[in-house]
Formats: sequence, structure tokens, C-alpha cells
Amino acid sequence: MEELMRIEGLKMYFGGLKAIDGFDLSIYKGETLGIIGPNGAGKTTLFNAICGVYVPTAGKVIFEGKEVQGTPAHEMAKKGISRTFQISKPLSGLTIFDNVVAAAGVHEYTGIRSYFHKAHTKDVEDRAEEVIREVGLAEVANKKASDVSLGYLRRLEIARALITQPKLIMLDEPCAGLSNFAINEITQLILNLKEKGQSIVLIEHNLPITMKVCDRITVLSYGKKIAEGTPEEVRTDKQVIEAYLGEEDD
Amino acid sequence: MSSAYLYSILATAAIFTLLALSLNIITGYAGQAMMGIAAFFGIGAYTAAVITTNGGHFVLGLLAGMLMAGVCGAVLGVISLRLQADFLAITTIGINFVMVAVFNRLKITGGTLGLTVKKPVLFGVRMNNKYFFYMTVVLIIILCLLLVKMRRSWFGMALASINNDPGAARSFGINVNRYQILAFTIGSAVAGLAGGIYAHRMGFISATDFAFVVSIQVVSMVVIGGLGTLRGPIFGALLISSLPEILRFADDYRELVYGLLLVLMVRFMPQGLIGEDSPIWLLLTKIWRRFFPKKKTRADLIAESAKGGGH
Ligand SMILES: Nc1ncnc2c1ncn2[C@@H]1O[C@H](COP(=O)(O)OP(=O)(O)O)[C@@H](O)[C@H]1O
Ligand SMILES: [Mg+2]
Repeated sequence: MEELMRIEGLKMYFGGLKAIDGFDLSIYKGETLGIIGPNGAGKTTLFNAICGVYVPTAGKVIFEGKEVQGTPAHEMAKKGISRTFQISKPLSGLTIFDNVVAAAGVHEYTGIRSYFHKAHTKDVEDRAEEVIREVGLAEVANKKASDVSLGYLRRLEIARALITQPKLIMLDEPCAGLSNFAINEITQLILNLKEKGQSIVLIEHNLPITMKVCDRITVLSYGKKIAEGTPEEVRTDKQVIEAYLGEEDD
Repeated sequence: MSSAYLYSILATAAIFTLLALSLNIITGYAGQAMMGIAAFFGIGAYTAAVITTNGGHFVLGLLAGMLMAGVCGAVLGVISLRLQADFLAITTIGINFVMVAVFNRLKITGGTLGLTVKKPVLFGVRMNNKYFFYMTVVLIIILCLLLVKMRRSWFGMALASINNDPGAARSFGINVNRYQILAFTIGSAVAGLAGGIYAHRMGFISATDFAFVVSIQVVSMVVIGGLGTLRGPIFGALLISSLPEILRFADDYRELVYGLLLVLMVRFMPQGLIGEDSPIWLLLTKIWRRFFPKKKTRADLIAESAKGGGH
């Protein structure tokens, strides 16, 4: 299997708080990798440190053979690493359609030169429509993002990430807070992406979903990796059961 | 009302419309707090005035005023990157006061005595209020056309994204810092242009012309009209500029009236009188649509097909 991204000794400290404390991980092309761990384990921080929202305190992020740690978030998006936010970040004043169009411009935001290029070209609108249909946003395409429910906002996050045609898509709890019905739909959507060969990293609090969707799972606790392996291996790992699964039985 | 008097009011209204549009680029489109636009108005005014009083051509003066204000705007843009919205608002107020002090102290700006500016000659005619008015209207139209094009471009998309959510904007490739600096630069340059015209139309400028109250007046225009739209700031500028005429009797309380209007507006109608989603504008579009049905957008078509398709 070909390696797409490798993380070496990654540390992300906030003052004295060691949110990520020496983390290693390899992500392979075409795989779906799950990251699980209790609340506050550092999963979102890990995404932020990889995607350039934060500059890591230490460590390397190697993407397609090149060191990219500390690259600003907007550059990461251009390199083909696209992420969704656990707490949705819609462009509230724009329609769902325009939200997706905005993200389609990932390679167009070149500063002053971007003034001379029209955003709503036929090609861009066609691509936006395709993605909108794929993720199930069609019925709200003309609604303002401020007027749609959480389920749609979660899909919007995925749509915006997808339209950048990422080499790696990183999903931060795309199912959190959704109804079972919506969870099933999102799960199906992720399975469809996987089918197409998309490389995926999925943070998910919901274990059955992670087990169902992921080829491999990494378990994070207090900023450190405590287990890694196939869903079956992780499910039966003693440390995992203590650190994470145990809490579910309370 | 004599026509000379009418043109004097119109010229002022046009200049303030230009100024309101400049602030709208920074605050309305890019979403950056800016409470000191008068400082850049002043930088443009003094720069242009100094150029022409030293024998430079009027047009050269205007361009230099734009450039100087634009460069200063770029510097503020860089500073703004380090500041959250509230602090940016306070910082820009501070900049306004500092600039007024600078205008009052510098020799080149005439100190507290101010500067007398000769009326320029353009195309062989000495400019009076009428010419200043028409000239400014032409510039407003050009600016509006450029802004309409901007809104449809990726540049406009970038500003709209930053205005809505900078974090999201970064996640799909927008260099937020760069666009923020550009918005400050362009907005300030337009304010500088308005300043250059103002200086020559007045024939005399002093630091009080660019005081903080002027900034607040421009903020009121933009907010009362409707932040982030093209029509809003224009309407607001015309309304507020004609207010002194309507409110003759309340001359002493003018600033009070602006302040009160601004506060009431922000509290009860933050979208502005005719801004996006304002009740008045929604009503107007509803009436308008009776006669001219809305042309369906791509998004409308997608939504309709999804609902019609038995999803
Ligand atoms: N910007 C920040 N500043 C300080 N502490 C932070 C910041 N972001 C996250 N943290 C802390 O890092 C820890 C991990 O948080 P997070 O990554 O959100 O966990 P998870 O996504 O696994 O629930 C938490 O203790 C959180 O409070
Ligand atoms: Mg999280």
C-alpha cells in the first residue's frame, strides 16, 4: 500500500496542556482510517495541527513525500487536504449552492488576479450541482445556509470538502448530533466515497459507525495513541476497553 | 432654492456617497470593523491638496491622494490581522484621532490654520460645484460597475467567505490575510479619492473636516442604508446628506440625531433600511416580483428538480 501521509512525533501544546503529545500515524492511499477516543482526547486538535490551523509544537507531517507541517490552512487545502469542522462553519449569508461554489474556487483565490475571473461559470455550477446531488443537499440548494437544519449543515461541510477534489478528506464527527436516519445516510455517503477510492480520515464518536466504515482505527487518549489496528483488533484491545469503551457501559 | 445652492448640496452628497461606498468595501464586503474612515479621507484630501498647491495637475493630485490613502490602508490592513473585531474598532478610532492631531501639527498640512486649495481647471473650465457633482457621479458609476464585477468574481467570493466565516474560508483555499489587506487597501484608496475631490471642492480644508464625527457619520450612512449591499450605502449617504436640509431646525442637534439614528438602527433594524433581508426591501422585492417574476437561478432549478423528483 502506498503511503499518502505520515505523521511523526507530532506535539501540540497549549501552554501547559499537552493536547497532542507525541503522535505517529501513517495514512495509506484509498484507505478509510478512523480516529476514536473520548471527548477531549485531542482528535479535533490533531486535525487542526495537521491542516495548518495550528502550527504544531513539534513533529512532522509528511504529505506525498514532502514535509508540510506548519503550512497555513489555505495552502493545505490547495495541496489536496480538505477537512470538515465538527462545529459546522456555514457561510450563513450565502445559499447552500453558493457555499459549495465558494469552496469550488480553491485554486482561484489568487489575490488581486481573482478579480478578473468570474466565479459562477458553467463548469463551476455543473460541478457544484453534481456534488450537491451526491451529498443530498439538492432540496435546499437555494436556501440560505442560516435557514437549514444541522443535518444539512453537516452535509454542506462534506460537500465543500469534496468539491475541492481532495486527495485526502478529513471528516470531524460528521454524524454528531444527528438522528439515526440521518446518521445512516451520512454513513452511506462515506461508504460511497470509499467505494470510489477516496482516502478518508474519519473522527467519529459513534463506535458502531466507525467499526462499520473504517479499514483501520487509531485510538487516542489524552493526546497519545493507545491502540491501532483493524476494527476487530481495536474492539478487543484491553487498554481501549478501559480508556474508552468502558465509559459506554456506565 | 438657487441652482448654485442645490449643486453645493449635491456635490457634498456625491462625495459622501463615494466615501460610504469605500467604507462598505472594508466593513460591508470584507466584514472588518472600521471606525476611522475619515482619517483616510483626510490623507487623500491633504495629499491631493499639497500636490495641486505645488503646481501639480488636479488629476495627478487625486491619483496621489488615492495612492497615499491606499498605502496607509494597507498598513492598517496588516495591523488588523493581529486584532479581533472589537480591538480593531477601537484601533481605527485611535488612528482617526492620531491623524487629526497629525494634520493639526504638520507644516505641510498648514497646521491648525488649514490649507487653502485653488479650484482646479479641468478640460479648460474652472471647476465649480456643478462640475464636482457630475465628476463625482461619474466616478460613483464607474466604482459601482467595478463593484458589481467584483461581487461576481472569485475576489468577491473570497470577501463574502471571509465576512461570513474566516475559518471556513481558509479551509477552502482563501488566504484570509491577503484579502483582508487588499480590502483595507482598496477601501482606503477610494476614501482617499473622495478626499481629494472634497479638498478641491471646498477650497479650504482643516483637520476638523476629518474628525471622528465624520467617520461616525459615514458609518451611519452605511448602516442605515444597509451594510454589504451596493444600494444601501448610496441610499444612506443621500438620506443623511439631505438630513441637514430637512432638519434645518435641529441644526444644533445634528450629531445627536445621527447618533440616535445609528443606535436605533443597529438595535431594531441591523440590516438597514433597504439592506439584504430588511423588511422594507423584502416588501419592495415582493411588489416588484408581481410585475417582473424572478429569473430562476441554478440553485432554484436544482431545488425544484429535487422536490419534483419525489425525493
Ligand atoms: N485552542 C485551544 N487552546 C487551548 N486548549 C485547547 C485548544 N483547542 C483544544 N484545546 C484543549 O485540547 C484538548 C483536546 O481537545 P479536542 O481536540 O477538541 O478534543 P476532541 O476533539 O478529542 O474531543 C481539550 O482539553 C481542549 O480543551
Ligand atoms: Mg472534537
